[in-house]
Amino acid sequence: MRLLRNFKKLILIFLITLTFSNISISEEKNYYKDLVTDWSRIFPDNNRNAAGPKFFKYIIDKDISYKDFVEYNKLYCAVSGSLIDPNSTPEFVNINEEKTGKKICGNYYRCCVPCSCDLMKYTTVKKMKHKFKDVTKEFYVLTIDNPCSKKDFPERVTKKYFCDGNNIAKDQVYNLDGRMVIGLFHNTKLCNDNDIKIVKAHPVTGEYCDIRNNTPLEELQAGMGDIFIKLAR
Amino acid sequence: MKINITKYLKKIIFLCCLILPNKLYADFFEDLTSQIVDNPKRLSYGVSVTDVNQDGNFDFVVTGFGYFNLALSYEDGKLINIVDEKIFSDEFRRTIGVAACDIDKDGFEEIYFLNTDTYSGTKKYSDRLIDFEGDNFVDLFEIEKNKTDLNLTAGRSVVCVDRNGDGAYGVYVANYGGPTRFYEYEDQKIVDKSVQLNLAKVTGGRAVVAGHIISNKMDIFAANERGANFLYKNNNGKFLDVAYEYRVEDVLQNGRGTALSDIYYRGRLDILNGNWGGFHRAYVLKDDVFEDIAKPTFDDPTRIRTIISADLDNDGYDEVFMNNIGEPNKLFKIMDNGVLEQLSLDIGLEPDGYGTGAAVADIDNDGVLELLVSHGESRDQPLSLYKAKVDANHKYLRVKPLNKYGAPARGATVTLISNLRKHSKTIDAGSGYLCQMEPVAHYGIRKNEKDIRVQIKWTNGKTKTISVKNLNKTITLRQK
Repeated sequence: MRLLRNFKKLILIFLITLTFSNISISEEKNYYKDLVTDWSRIFPDNNRNAAGPKFFKYIIDKDISYKDFVEYNKLYCAVSGSLIDPNSTPEFVNINEEKTGKKICGNYYRCCVPCSCDLMKYTTVKKMKHKFKDVTKEFYVLTIDNPCSKKDFPERVTKKYFCDGNNIAKDQVYNLDGRMVIGLFHNTKLCNDNDIKIVKAHPVTGEYCDIRNNTPLEELQAGMGDIFIKLAR
Repeated sequence: MKINITKYLKKIIFLCCLILPNKLYADFFEDLTSQIVDNPKRLSYGVSVTDVNQDGNFDFVVTGFGYFNLALSYEDGKLINIVDEKIFSDEFRRTIGVAACDIDKDGFEEIYFLNTDTYSGTKKYSDRLIDFEGDNFVDLFEIEKNKTDLNLTAGRSVVCVDRNGDGAYGVYVANYGGPTRFYEYEDQKIVDKSVQLNLAKVTGGRAVVAGHIISNKMDIFAANERGANFLYKNNNGKFLDVAYEYRVEDVLQNGRGTALSDIYYRGRLDILNGNWGGFHRAYVLKDDVFEDIAKPTFDDPTRIRTIISADLDNDGYDEVFMNNIGEPNKLFKIMDNGVLEQLSLDIGLEPDGYGTGAAVADIDNDGVLELLVSHGESRDQPLSLYKAKVDANHKYLRVKPLNKYGAPARGATVTLISNLRKHSKTIDAGSGYLCQMEPVAHYGIRKNEKDIRVQIKWTNGKTKTISVKNLNKTITLRQK
């Protein structure tokens, strides 16, 4: 009897929902829209080449929850600076930890396949702790060495986005113990043998990256070509 | 047993009461397309509303892309094309944008036809600027002295701008892949003043609106493609692009349908801006910066073309009609506090419609707006005509401002002030996308609304307020 009564209630709720289904008031946060809207705030001169660090800084400076932080960081390519379509599938990669040299495995959201290779070869990961609106969290971030004193700083990258003279411009990008943070490393863990096998067996992170990462810089054509590599090597 | 039946009957009635209002929403419009006499499939684009034959009544001007430009006049319950003069109908020049305003200060509006025979860059045929002289239509651009500055760049929309507030209109031409133009009558000659006025930027021009946006004179908002939008602040008749400062540059989106609308019913014009396959914006000014308050489903990306903000059902709240191409149209109602509530559409949904333009006007003078929708681009389709099913108890007030020359005061702002709202509307200078609405502020009256006054802000920024005693009429106000 009680079951029947509950069933009737459910039907009633269903019908009421159906009745007002033409009125759509969804309050779910649209992370992608936020980045599209603020794009010219993040890149005032419209040059987003290799400017993942600008996205990271823009996001970490927001007064947001940890969940929001993670979601925003899925929507740009840390290597190229491109926006990434929502609900994209990440690549499973391994990257060395800066401090220990241990291999850390995790997900990387990239715009195109060469970026995964460049990431694995030219970045290291570091632990970072941050107080969000709701919680204090420790997580791995993708980092590159301070590029500001490079004599061959890539011309197609806006230097003022990154550098204040030979120093990392702290008001523009995130400086973590002298290294520049270019993005968030998602769903991280210490790699085990099986994880490494998975990365090596993958057509992109395995065979393709082997070829790309053994190609001389001047012969690279795909992806961001030499722009990010010149910045990060 | 009897009690049980009564109990269930009550429940059924209760459920019906819940479901019924939803079903009523489904038929917001009635279809009046059959009123259009001779309505074949064609490729149409922009639609404007002006008094083509100077008989005191507004007509729909419908552009044709390889088809005739039409002037649809309301006669005996029908919409009939009243112009067949070649200079006007001009099926070879491929017209897409249209706007009308009084450029020569004679009290009557000229019609600017923007022709585009190529997607971008240099085009073959120039635009037309049609004047009705005597009983004939004349293209002012075909007069020898006016040929020095012809627009030979592909374009999209046009908007009229009385930049000095003196009743002398110019026309802003949103070009694509070439510099923007701004045509004015000066010393009996039509000249392009875009360089002098800081408007000659090269972009992918799409939609453009003008009115009291951020200053007390006519400002311009241009929604562009493959580049930042422009927000030109009127600075003593010249213009300064402040889109970045006001946060409406929206670099990554490709602008389309745009309209000025008082989204908060607070007595100022804000901006509705549709983006092609991108997020549609509802920009409201807060602390000298425009904030986009659009939420799903309003901001959901669509193949948007025209956007119209108007009170179609005379309930005192504006609707927003989104005309999409190759996908269903959408209709929203702007509720209090900027809530954009989606309404169900059945008639007017046009799931297979290739909408390219639309305009509203009370073409039959019954106090309810008609909505004319044009179609084309990649599929030839006839025009559609709709009208909201209006509650017989709903009252209306129409305000028609004329400038000191007796011409429609396009770009002026009318504000209805009452115990319930302060509701501004622009006298449309060009909007939607490629289009222009009737130069009348049309208000439905809300339930329990009283103490109604109307304020008009003229294009020179000066205001005048009058009390309204009688409703269901059109008030004509003449600038002194």
